[in-house]
Amino acid sequence: MSPTIKRIGRDRFRVRLGAEEIAVLRGLPDQLRSVLARREADPVLERLFPPAYLEPEDAERDTDYRRLVHDDLLKEKLANLEVVTNTLARGSTSVRRWTVDLSEDEAMAWLGVLNDLRLALGVRLGITEDFDGDVDESDPRAPGLHLLSYLGWLEEHLVEALASG
Amino acid sequence: MSTTAPVRERAPEHEDVAKPDVPWIVIVWNDPINLMSYVVFVFQKLFGYPRDKATKLMLDVHHKGKAVVSSGPREKAEYDVYRLHNHGLWATMQKDR
Repeated sequence: MSPTIKRIGRDRFRVRLGAEEIAVLRGLPDQLRSVLARREADPVLERLFPPAYLEPEDAERDTDYRRLVHDDLLKEKLANLEVVTNTLARGSTSVRRWTVDLSEDEAMAWLGVLNDLRLALGVRLGITEDFDGDVDESDPRAPGLHLLSYLGWLEEHLVEALASG
Repeated sequence: MSTTAPVRERAPEHEDVAKPDVPWIVIVWNDPINLMSYVVFVFQKLFGYPRDKATKLMLDVHHKGKAVVSSGPREKAEYDVYRLHNHGLWATMQKDR
């Protein structure tokens, strides 16, 4: 079986996924968007917009840093989400395989979204130890852990493709 | 740039102003979610580090809990932290001492 994501040119990557995978992926960007739109404190937002300074003496610098970069970070995340939504809509299905070709910039946007989704999911699931992808089916978090595992697998393929050539 | 040796006439009022060269270090902390391959990829992409160096830094983060990935004046360190945050890495900066 050919790899899920592979480089097929200098600025071209081919993504091939199953129909069930696409159904799952299509639902995720809006979930991340709704978290990003939250005004109230949320541990996921704390992870996606972390502090730059930890020392008490730098508290004021950290406030300045956050004020300075928050909108840029948010804009970048929303732009990545836009690319993923558009390319998910652009792909085509034949014989139960879904395919789309991405430019390098689009592939980087996918990487950003996959990573943000995994960070968000990790916080929601309370992951504090390294997660190796094995899921205990008796764990009430099993569905979320399976999703985290799947997204990690996909991201691994994407990194490999981006790092090649 | 002047070639005349600077003459210090009086003690400066602020240490920060007197020592603009105090370097800042950028630290990446271990986290349970980011993939090892992803972290190596980000270090190579952002800092242009060769694969060996990027891998060594990633392993330091993984095994020792953190690693210093860059250093320099505060503005540069802050820019590096921003880029790391933009890629979802858990990075902070502090004065090197």
